[in-house]
This record gives sequence, C-alpha cells and structure tokens, in this order.
Amino acid sequence: MSERDVLFQTEDDLALEATVEVLPTEKFLLFISDGLLFGVSAEAVVEIITNHTVTSIPLVPDYVKGVINLRGQIIPILDIRRLLGRADHENACIIIVQHEDNQVGILVDQVEKMVDVDITTILPVPPHSNQELVSGMCSLEEGRQTMLVFDCAQLMDRA
Amino acid sequence: MSDGNDSILDAFLYETNTLLEQLDSIVLTSEQQDSFSQEDINSIFRIMHTIKGSSAMMEYNSLMTVAHRAEDMFAIIRDKTMDVVPESLRPELFDLLFQTIDFFRQELERIENGQPLTENIDTLVQKVNRLMEQIRSGGQPEPSPAPAKQEAHHAITPVAGFPYALQIFFDEGCGMENLRAFMLVNAVRELCGDSDFTYEPKGVETDAATAEQIVESGFLLLFRSAADRDSAVHAVTNAGAVRTYQSIDVPEAAQAAAPVQPAAPVQETAAPAPAAPSAAAELMAAAEEPVAQAVPGQSAAPSVQKVDNTPHHKESLISVNLNKLDHLAAVVGEIVITESMVTASPDLKGLKLDAFTKSARQLRKLTDELQDVSMSLRMVPVSGVFQKMNRIVRDMCKKLGKQARLILSGETTEVDKTIVDSIGDPIMHIVRNSMDHGIEEKAADRIAAGKDPVAEIRLSARNTGSEVIIEIKDDGQGVNYDGVLNKAIRNGLASPDVEYSHREILNFLMAPGFSTNTQVTEFSGRGVGMDVVKRNVEEVGGTVSISSEPGQGMTTTLKIPLTMAIMDGMEVSVGGSIFTIPIHNIRQSFKIEEADLIRDASGGEVFKCMGNFYPVIRMRDLYQMEGGCTEIQDGILIWLEAGDLSYCLFVDELLGEQQVVVKPLPSYLNHFNIKARGIAGCTILGDGNISIILDISNLYTSAR
Repeated sequence: MSERDVLFQTEDDLALEATVEVLPTEKFLLFISDGLLFGVSAEAVVEIITNHTVTSIPLVPDYVKGVINLRGQIIPILDIRRLLGRADHENACIIIVQHEDNQVGILVDQVEKMVDVDITTILPVPPHSNQELVSGMCSLEEGRQTMLVFDCAQLMDRA
Repeated sequence: MSDGNDSILDAFLYETNTLLEQLDSIVLTSEQQDSFSQEDINSIFRIMHTIKGSSAMMEYNSLMTVAHRAEDMFAIIRDKTMDVVPESLRPELFDLLFQTIDFFRQELERIENGQPLTENIDTLVQKVNRLMEQIRSGGQPEPSPAPAKQEAHHAITPVAGFPYALQIFFDEGCGMENLRAFMLVNAVRELCGDSDFTYEPKGVETDAATAEQIVESGFLLLFRSAADRDSAVHAVTNAGAVRTYQSIDVPEAAQAAAPVQPAAPVQETAAPAPAAPSAAAELMAAAEEPVAQAVPGQSAAPSVQKVDNTPHHKESLISVNLNKLDHLAAVVGEIVITESMVTASPDLKGLKLDAFTKSARQLRKLTDELQDVSMSLRMVPVSGVFQKMNRIVRDMCKKLGKQARLILSGETTEVDKTIVDSIGDPIMHIVRNSMDHGIEEKAADRIAAGKDPVAEIRLSARNTGSEVIIEIKDDGQGVNYDGVLNKAIRNGLASPDVEYSHREILNFLMAPGFSTNTQVTEFSGRGVGMDVVKRNVEEVGGTVSISSEPGQGMTTTLKIPLTMAIMDGMEVSVGGSIFTIPIHNIRQSFKIEEADLIRDASGGEVFKCMGNFYPVIRMRDLYQMEGGCTEIQDGILIWLEAGDLSYCLFVDELLGEQQVVVKPLPSYLNHFNIKARGIAGCTILGDGNISIILDISNLYTSAR
C-alpha cells in the first residue's frame, strides 16, 4: 500500500510539474490597428495574407469589406477600424482567423510579431469601459506596451 | 469521421436499406407473376439471411428473430419450389412479405432516430409461423389432419347482423380463458352498447368448459360496425395475456356460404404467369419501353413489366460518403480555375511558347474531362424514387379498391443526388393525389367514359440537356374547374367577380391552404397540399406546372435542373462589381433611350415591351452602389422572368455567358439576411475574381 501511495504521489507531482511548465504561456500574434496594439491567440490564426482583391458585397454594414477568394474558399473580410468606429486607412494586411467552423479575415494596419504571454498576467477588461472586441488586457515583458486581447468569438457573434 | 460504432451502424443501415429496397422490388414483380422464380426465392433467402446475420451482430434481436423466421419459411419454399405454396395462400404470402418489409423499415427508422426498438414482434412472428405451417402441410401430398383441424379452428361462423369480427387468442397456458374472455366482454361493453356486439362462445362467465373451446378456436367478438371494433381493439390490446388477435370482415353476402377463411384476402389473381423473367430487381436496367410490354387489363394490381436479363452489378459498386464527393467537386472546380489562371497568365503575354501552348491545351482537355467525371459521380438515376411509387400505387389500389397500374419510363435518367432526395416526397404526393382524387371512384365510371377499367399512371423522366423533366400523368377524371374555382373563392384565394382562365384556376391548386378534398384521407390529405410540392421543387430550383383536360386526366410536370452545383449564368457588371444572373431567367435585353421609360403613379419606372408593361429596377439604386451608370442610354436593360414575376433590371454592361460553380456565401454573412435581398450565392470566375449570383425572384420582392 505504502509503495503504491508513493508511486501515485510521484506521478502526481510529475504531472503537476509538467503542467506548471506548459500551462501559463500562450502564443499571441501582435498586430496594430489605429495605433492600438492587439494580440490574437495564435491558435485562432490560420494565416496572414497581403494584397488580396476584396470583392465588395452590397447591402451589408460598412465594416464588412467584402469577400475574398482564398484558394477556392470564400471568406468574408472585416475592417477592425470600422468596427471600432475609427477612421478609414489604406491597409492591405489581412489576418485569417478561425472560430469554431467559421473563418473570417480581419483587416489590420500592420502585423508585428509573435509573443509568448503568461496567461496569468492577462487581466479582465475594466467592467465599465466600452472596449469592444477585447476580452482582456496585459502588459508585455518590455513593460512599455499593453496588449489588448482580441476576442474572436465576440467578432463572430457581433453580426 | 465519427467513431467506429457509428460507422458500423451507418454501414448496417445502408446495407439493410439497400437489401429491403431490393426485396421490395422482387416481391412487387413476383406478385405480378403470382409466383416466385427459383432465383427470386434464392435472393430473398439470401437477403433474409444477411439481415439476420447483421442484426444479430448489432444485437437487434427483434429484427433477427423476424428475419430468422422469414428465412426459415423461404428455406422450405426453396427446397420444395414455389409449387409448395398453394395458390390460395399466395396472396397471403405476398402480403406477409410486405408486412415484414414494412416492419424492418419501421424498425430501421427507429434505429436512425435513436428510439428503442419495438419489443412486440409476436404478431408478425405468429403470422409467419402460421403461414409456414400452412405451407408445410399444404405442400404434402396427403394433408395431415393437423392443418385441417387448424383451419377449422380458424373458421368463423358468421352471425347475422354482426359482420365485423375480432378473433382473440390468449397466451398459451395462461388458464381461466373463459373468465379472461368475460373480462374482455365487460371492457368492450363499456365502449359500445350491449346491442352493438355479441360474442362467441356464449356463457363464458359461468361455463368453465368454454375455456377449452377458447383455447382451441379463439374467442370471438362480433360487432355491428367497424368503428366499434376499432375501439374494441384498443381494449383488447390493453387487456393482459392476449397473445394475438385479428380482425375479420365477414362479408354479408358470404355469410350464408361456407365459413370464411380468415386473413386470406378475398381476391385471387389469375394463374401464375409462365416463365417468370428473371425479376432480378434491377428494374432500372430495363429502360426499354416497359409501356409496350404492359398488357392492359391483364391484372388488377399495379404493373411494371419488364424483361431484365442483366445480372446483379452489386460487386462493381461502392458507396462513398457524400462529403467526400462534395470535397472532390470543390477541388476539381479549383483545378479548373487555376488551370485557366496559369495558361492565361499575364506573364506569358507576348511570348511565343509552342511547347507550352501544346501542353496547356492537353491540360485543358484533361481538366475538362476531370470535371465531367467528378460531376457525374454525384449523379444518380431517378429509378430509386420511381420504384418506391410502385409500392404506393399497389397499397393504395388495395386500400381504395381502385384498379390502377403504374408505368415507368426513363428511370435511368440521372440527376444530382441532393435533387433526387428532395423530389421523392413531391412525386409521392402527386402520385397519391392522382390515385385518390384523379382516378374515378368506380371502375364502372371509367367504362362508362369509354376508358380501360384499369387506370393508368405514367411516371416518366427525360433529360433535355439542361434540365430534367418529370411527368406524372393519370388518365382519371381530370380537374373539375368549377369545383376548384368555387373552392378557391370560398378560401378567399379567388374573387367571385373575376373571370379566370383554366391555367389560372390550375394555379389555385398550388396556392397555400388549398385542398379540394373536404375529407382528410389517409393518403392525400395530411394537411399538406400541392403548395408544399411546389415549394419543395422550387427549393431545388425547379418549377411545377399542371395541365388537365376534363375527363382525360391530369398531367403534372416538374422541371428540375440537373444539378444545383453548376449553372449557366450571364455575367453583368454594375460599377466595379460583377453579378451573375441565371441564364434561364433571362428573356431578352434591350438598349433603350430615356424617352422609352414611362413613370407610373408612384414614381416607379416602367418599360413597355411587346404590348406589356414591366417595372424597371435599377441595380445601382437597389444595392446602393457608388459606381455604375445612371443614364438609361449608357447601360442595358435585361428582361427577366422567374415564375410569375416578370420585370426589367438595369445594369451597366453584359460581360458574357459562363458556366459557373455555385458556392454558398460564408455563413457569417447570413446574419445580414442578404439572401432575402436577392443574393443567392457567389461564384469564382476564371480569373479568380468573385461574382455574386442573383436570385431573380427575391431581388424583385426586396425591391417592392
């Protein structure tokens, strides 16, 4: 019995150690839109494309830029600036994100880089702020920048 | 794909359904001949054996038991040939087989819906056992006393005035049968008056000796009306220890005559046809003029006669998940587009590349072929749907006491799988309508009208290249125009002051909420009418039209596109955007001047053409687009037609005709309800650009 207990304990401890190493960090892709630094979970990112012709669709809200043909798939493109009610900007960088079975492209100013973020440092958005499409905030390691966590689920449901 | 168990279940359902379909058609053809060929018996035996085996594997015990008994029965018939079944028993045999097929179908449906299986299979097994017993004894040269006795037991002494009987057997060895019977009598007494029923043997309450008699020949309840009996059936099923019961109608005329054999259907068909063709059930293979072979008036049952010498092709077929085919079609579509993107690449402009051009031409030929093949994979013959109608006509003939035969032609016509699935119900509904309302109530009426007493329903399919035309034609009494019009007026669909043309009256038949039959019948009137048929067909891009000649019958024509995935479209441009209009909606296009436009009272624009006025819709205004022509003489007017709608659409330019692969819009965009505004989907053009496919009727509705 005691032997088994010991065995279990070691296993549990080992498992705990393993999770401690893996769990807290998550990869985020940083991008800039109208001077704000957003981070979208790398899990959700399918790919980044540039210079794609967007076919506009009539009768949809202005933040829906249109659709693109990505290797035979028709993907809607959303303009984040418009979504957040900001001015238009010539931007040609599209991040394709996936949430459940749906893919959409988001139009951003510039894609920065990938970072590992300790998810325990992500703090909830202050309850009364009108931050749309943001599910959390966190300070990056350099300490000088604050990343807004982009909420893909909210983006899809928004329509 | 899903986990292992599910795929086994899928395989089981698919296999069993296929077998049942095969069985259904074998039995139908054989019923025509009133006999089974040795080959049919073998295949039925095999089918039952397979169903038994696979149900046992899936642990569906009730299915296994029934299949097992049926297999046993056919083992006897197989060993002793069909001669073993006396002719008097044959109708019963066929009926029983249909019942068995229905039982399996019903159970499979339960399995598909995840419902528990029916536990109570005793009645069916009992019937099979009894028939087997009768076959076994009937086949022996000298019938043993046992069957004779049994038949005597089942005989019913009719009691005058009580033509509707219910014969009840209690569980074997349950004891006190007479008291159980008495309890039943009390239960029934609560349901209907004392004078409305009687029972046999009498004295069950007091005379214990009657118990013996009940065990042997059953307890008999006799009713004055069928309705009373139906309610009594309910009481009987609720009572304990009832093993089996059956309803027997004692015809008044036959009452004086000999006791009536229960369960044996009254009519008997003519002698078995000689030399049964190998009714190998692959009816689809016999497309050659079944019409010519059907001899009118030969038989009362629905008939599909065809010579079919083709062996089974089962081994050369495999079943493929539809998703894989969809994926294949999508990839092939991409290849075709990519191919034209490569060969027409702007980088190659001005270069002289002989070898490249040659290879490119070869590539184009191959990709075209690839596209054709991948499209053909989704095409299935309509025979599956057509065959089902045989059964419906047969059942309805028996139920309604009408005589009709179904004649199929062109079942080999191939249509996209999704379309085949969605036209099954509409066709069934139309056939039922024809059987129920179209065909005259009595054969005498038909003879009086100079028609063959056996009515005829023709179901035909043919391919015109761009669409499939399915016709359901009966030679019944036709549409009663006055009756329909009166009904339409009563329902508020028509106005009594307006003169309607015959065509307009026929259109009322397909209006929602219209049904000419005042009574809801088992078959036709289920609260759905022709409007549902129309809607289903329109959902797959087809149209329905009815024509009828009083006294000559009615023809319903379904025009259905070959496939929903590909269509011929006209590319038009408005501003910088490209739209695709389905070619079949386009009547004509005009280049007109401002002066040709007429303003109506509400400020809308109207264009006069060929003596009619059509409203004009400007794409640019409707879709609030920035670019595009505003002066009418700069653009072009397209005259469109969809169903009853007819109008003109103003666009900038016609770009040309193109075959396009229809793609649904991304689901994200469905939030904005743009479908209702006339955007049906999109397609990828040869240069990789996206064009929006317009839905002509929705476009008009949203503009109004």
